[in-house]
Amino acid sequence: MSTMTVDKAGPTRNVKYGSMSRDRAWALRWSYFFLTLFAIFSLVPPLYMLITSLKGSAEISAATNPWWVFHPTLENYIGLLTSNQFLRFFFNSAMVSIVVVIITMLISIPAAFALSRMKFWGSATLATGVFLTYLIPDSLLFIPLFKMFALIGDVTGIQLINRWYVLLFIYPTLTVPFCTWIMIGYFASIPKELDEAAIIDGASWLQTLTRIFIPVALPGLIAATIFAFTVSWAQFLYPLVFTTSADQLVLPVGIVTTLIKGDVFNWGQIMTGALLGAAPPLIIYAFLMDYYIAGLTAGATKG
Amino acid sequence: MVDAAIGEDAIARPRRAVRRRGLRNALKRKSTTAFLLTLPLILLIALLVVYPALYSVHLATLNKSMQRFVGFGNFEFLFKRDTFWLVVKQSCIFAVTAVVFKALIGFIVAHFVHNIPAKGQRKWRGMLLVPWVIPPAMSTLAWLWLFDPSYSAFNYTLAFFGIGPIPWTGDAAWARFSVILVNVWYGAPFFMIMYLASLKSVPDQLYEAAAIDGANWWQRIWYVTLPMMRNIIAITTLFSLIVTFANFDIVRILTAGGPLDKTHIFATWAFRVGIEGSDIPLGASVSLFMVPILAVAAIFILRDVNKRGNES
Amino acid sequence: MSRRKLNRRQFVAATAATSAVMITAPYVRGAYAAGKLSMGFWDHWVPGANQASTDLVNEWAAKEKVEVQIDYITSQGKKIELTIAAEGAAKSGHDLIAMPTWWPHAHAELLEPVNDIMGPIIQENGEVNGTVKYLGQSGGKWLAVPSCVGSQIKGPCTRIDLMKKHAGIDVQQLYPAGGPPKADSWTTETFLKAAEACQKAGVPFGIGLGETTDSVDSAGAFFQAFGAELVNAKGDVTVKTDAVRQALEFYKRLIAALPPDVASWDDASNNKWLVSGKGAMIMNPPSAWAVAKRDAPQIAEQCWTHGFPVGPKGRYAPFLPYFWSIWSFSKNKEAAKSLIVHLSKPASIEKMVAASGGYDLPAYEKLTTLKIWQEQGPPKGTLYHYPNPYNHQTLSIAASPAPPKIAQQIYAQATMTKMCLRYAQGEKMEATLAWAEGECEGFMRS
Repeated sequence: MSTMTVDKAGPTRNVKYGSMSRDRAWALRWSYFFLTLFAIFSLVPPLYMLITSLKGSAEISAATNPWWVFHPTLENYIGLLTSNQFLRFFFNSAMVSIVVVIITMLISIPAAFALSRMKFWGSATLATGVFLTYLIPDSLLFIPLFKMFALIGDVTGIQLINRWYVLLFIYPTLTVPFCTWIMIGYFASIPKELDEAAIIDGASWLQTLTRIFIPVALPGLIAATIFAFTVSWAQFLYPLVFTTSADQLVLPVGIVTTLIKGDVFNWGQIMTGALLGAAPPLIIYAFLMDYYIAGLTAGATKG
Repeated sequence: MVDAAIGEDAIARPRRAVRRRGLRNALKRKSTTAFLLTLPLILLIALLVVYPALYSVHLATLNKSMQRFVGFGNFEFLFKRDTFWLVVKQSCIFAVTAVVFKALIGFIVAHFVHNIPAKGQRKWRGMLLVPWVIPPAMSTLAWLWLFDPSYSAFNYTLAFFGIGPIPWTGDAAWARFSVILVNVWYGAPFFMIMYLASLKSVPDQLYEAAAIDGANWWQRIWYVTLPMMRNIIAITTLFSLIVTFANFDIVRILTAGGPLDKTHIFATWAFRVGIEGSDIPLGASVSLFMVPILAVAAIFILRDVNKRGNES
Repeated sequence: MSRRKLNRRQFVAATAATSAVMITAPYVRGAYAAGKLSMGFWDHWVPGANQASTDLVNEWAAKEKVEVQIDYITSQGKKIELTIAAEGAAKSGHDLIAMPTWWPHAHAELLEPVNDIMGPIIQENGEVNGTVKYLGQSGGKWLAVPSCVGSQIKGPCTRIDLMKKHAGIDVQQLYPAGGPPKADSWTTETFLKAAEACQKAGVPFGIGLGETTDSVDSAGAFFQAFGAELVNAKGDVTVKTDAVRQALEFYKRLIAALPPDVASWDDASNNKWLVSGKGAMIMNPPSAWAVAKRDAPQIAEQCWTHGFPVGPKGRYAPFLPYFWSIWSFSKNKEAAKSLIVHLSKPASIEKMVAASGGYDLPAYEKLTTLKIWQEQGPPKGTLYHYPNPYNHQTLSIAASPAPPKIAQQIYAQATMTKMCLRYAQGEKMEATLAWAEGECEGFMRS
C-alpha cells in the first residue's frame, strides 16, 4: 500500500512533461545537494557518538583529533553489554515501552472509534479537548502524581513508587492523546458506507470495530504504535522522579545516572549507551517507516 | 471539561429518546456503547492529568513551607521579579524561534525528499529521521560533548579555518543559539515526516493543472501545496509549540539556564526555584503560568482545526 | 549493586556468623530490633565505595535483625534533590535519606531530631566544624547527622610544575606533606598574580563562574576571605558594603585571567580542564586528580591539593557536607538512629573513607588525619592537606552566615557568581549591587 503511494510521486510527472525535464534535472541536483546538507546536520551528533564510543577513556582525555579514532577499542561495548545493570535498564525500557504501547492502543482505538463514528453530546469537544491535555506540562504534574502514588502505596500497601511499572500508569498520558487524534483522523477517512453496511447486516458496534475498522486502519495503527513507542522510550523526567533503585531504572535515566559519577563523565560509555539505546527505535523505524508514513498520510490529513 | 461532557450526555440522552421514540433503543445502546468506549480515555485524563493539575493549582496557592494558604500571593511575588519576566520572554523567543525553524526546515526537507525518485526516498527519510528517534536526553549529551569548553569537536574543526574558539554555551547569545539549534535538530524530523505524509496526499492532478496554467514552483507551493497542508501544518505547529514551550531536558542538560539566566525557560526555572531552591509552591506557580500562554496559542490554532472535528 | 535485600538464607547465615559479636557489641538497641528499614544513600562516584557502605549496613542489619533496602541515588541531574523534594511533598518514602548541604534545613519541619545520638557521636569523634553546625542544627536541635560519604572540601588542586615554572610558587613548600602549612605568603594577592602569570603562559586557572556548586563554592570562599556577606546572620541584606565591592573587584581581575568561557562551566568542566592539561589550577575535591590518575597519569603526578589563599578577613575553604537524616514519617526511626550510630563509629568512617580513596571527609575533629590521606599518591602526600588537618583554614559554605533558608536561595540561584560576571562584563558596580539587593530581597520568602 505504501509503495503505491510513493510511486505516484516522481516519475509520472517526468515522463508526461518532457519539456520540463531539464528543469527537473536541475531541481533534482539541488534536492540532492540540500538533502546532503541536511543529512550531515542530522547525522553529525550520532556519528560523533559512534566515534567517541570506540575510544578508550585515555584517548578521550588526551584531546587528540576528536573526529578520528587512533586506538579503536570495543571495551565500552563489551563493558556495557556484559553489565547486568545495563541489560536490566534495557529490559526495563523494553517492558515499559511495549506494555505502554499496548495500553495506549487499548485506550485510544475504542475512544477514537467512538469519537469519529458515534456522535454523542460533547464528542466533538472531547475530540479536540483530548489534544489539549498536552497543555499541562510534566514539570507541573510530577509532584502531585508522586503524592498520589505514594498515597496509594500507603493506603493499599501496593508499592508503586520506585517500581518500573508505575511508569505504565503515567506514560499513557503522553501517548494516548496524540494516538487517539491520529486514529480519529484515520477512522474518519474510512468510507461511512462500510460500517453502515455492517450495521445493517446486524453487526454490533464492537464487531464493526474489530472486524472492519481495525483491519482497514492497520497503517494508522502502526503509525500510532510507533509514535507511542518512541515517546515512551525517550521519556526522561518522569522516570527520573519515580524510580530510584538501579534495578528499576529505564535506559535514558539509567545511563545518565550511573555512567556520570558526580562530576566525572564517562564519555565513552555514555555515548555507547546512548547509541545502543537508540538502536531499537532505529530498527523499528527502518522496517516500519513506510507504514508510518502511510498511516500518518491518512490519519493526519483527513479533514 | 471532560466531566461536563459526561454529565450533559446523560441529560441529552432522554431528551433525544423522547423526540425519536422509534430509535430509542438503538440510540440508547449506541450512546452507552460510545460512552463505554471512551470511558478509559476519560478516566485516564481525569485521574492522571486533570486531578493532578488541579492539585498543583492548590500547591501554587501555598506558602513556601506548604503550611499556609496564600491565594495569589506566589503570583504577586513572581510578577515583581525581573527574572520571571526574563524567563517569560525567553520561553517565548525560544519556543517561537525553534518552532519556526523546525517548521521551515521540515517543510523544505519534506519537499526535497518528495522531489527525488521514489527508489532513493527510503534511505534519505531514514537518515533524516535519526535525530527524532534517539532519546533526547542522550542525544543532548552528545551535543554537550560537542560543545564542551575543553574538548569541543566543533571548535577543533573551526580552528582550521581560523575561527573560534566559540563559547557555545558560555556566552548568552551563543548559548541561546545552541539550545535552539539542538531543539531544531531534534524536532525538525517530526515536521518533515508529518509534512511528507501530507504532501503525498496532495493529488498530482492539482499540480498538473497548475503547471498547465503556467504556474511557477513558488506559485504551485503557495496556491496548491500550502492550502492542502493547512490543517497538518496547524496541528503539527501546535503540538510542537506546546512540547517546545514545556521543554525541560534539552535546556537543562545543555546550559541549565545559564549563563546569567539567559537561557532559562519555564520548566528549567521552575526546577531551579522548586527543586533546587526547595520552594515547590513557587515552582508550581511558574509551571502553571505557561498554561494560559499556551492556551491562547492553542485556541487560535484550534479554531482552524476544529472544523475538522465537526466534519468527522 | 544498588539495592540489596538480605534474603532469609543470607540473613540466617549472617546472624549465625555475628551472633558471637552480638553479645559483646557495644551498642545494641535490642528492644527496637527487627522490622524493615529503607534508605537512600548518595551514589558514590568512586568505584567500590558504595560497597563499603553496603557492607557496613549489612553488618549492622545482621546484628540488629533488620531487613534493609539500600538505594544509591545519584546527585547527577539533581536526582537526589528531586527524590527528597518528592518524598517530602508526599510525606512518604525512604526511612533514612542522605541530604546534601541545605536540604536538612529546607525540610526541617519534616525531620526527626537526632540530638540523642548526636551527643554521644560528638563525644567519641570530636567536635564538628562550624559549617556542619550551621547546616545541621536549627534552634539547638540537630536535624541530621553529618555523613562522611559525599562530604568534601573544594580546595585548590594545583599543577606543581606549571605553578613553579610560570608563577614561581612551590606549592609543595607551602603545603608540605606530613607537616603544617607554611602558607603565610599564600594570599589572595599572590593568588591573583599567579593566575595572571599562568594565563600569560597559556595555562590559565580553571575556576568556573557558572551556576553549579563548584563555581558557587569558590566564589563563596573568596567572598568570605574579603568579609563580604550578601545577607548577614540576622537576615538583613548587606549587599552594598565595601567588603562586597572589594570581592567584586578581586573577581573582576581574576576573571580577566580565566579562560573565556568560564561562565558556562559546570561541575565537570574544571575536571576536564585539569585532566586535559590545559590549566595550572582548579578548585575541586580530588575527583579530578583521581580521573587524571586513570586517564592521564603524567598529569596526576604533578597535582597537589592544598589550602585556599588568605584574604583580608581570613582564610576560608568551602566545605560541603552530606547528612544522614530521618524523615518524621519514617516507620522505623529507632532502627534508623541505631544504623546512623553504627555508620558514625570511627572504624566505620575509616572504612568508608578508605573505600573512597580519601575523597570523603568526616566532619569530626579527631578524624582528619587518617592514614589514607598520607599514603595516597602519586605524588605521595598529594591529599595530605585535603582534609584541613591543621585547621589552617576556616571551613565554611558559600552564602553563610545568612539564615540557611535564605542562604540556600542565594546558593541555588548562584547570585554571587552572577554578580561577578555582571561586574566583570562591564556593568557598573552600583548597578550590580542594586540587582543583587533586589535578588536577595526576593529570597526572604518563608
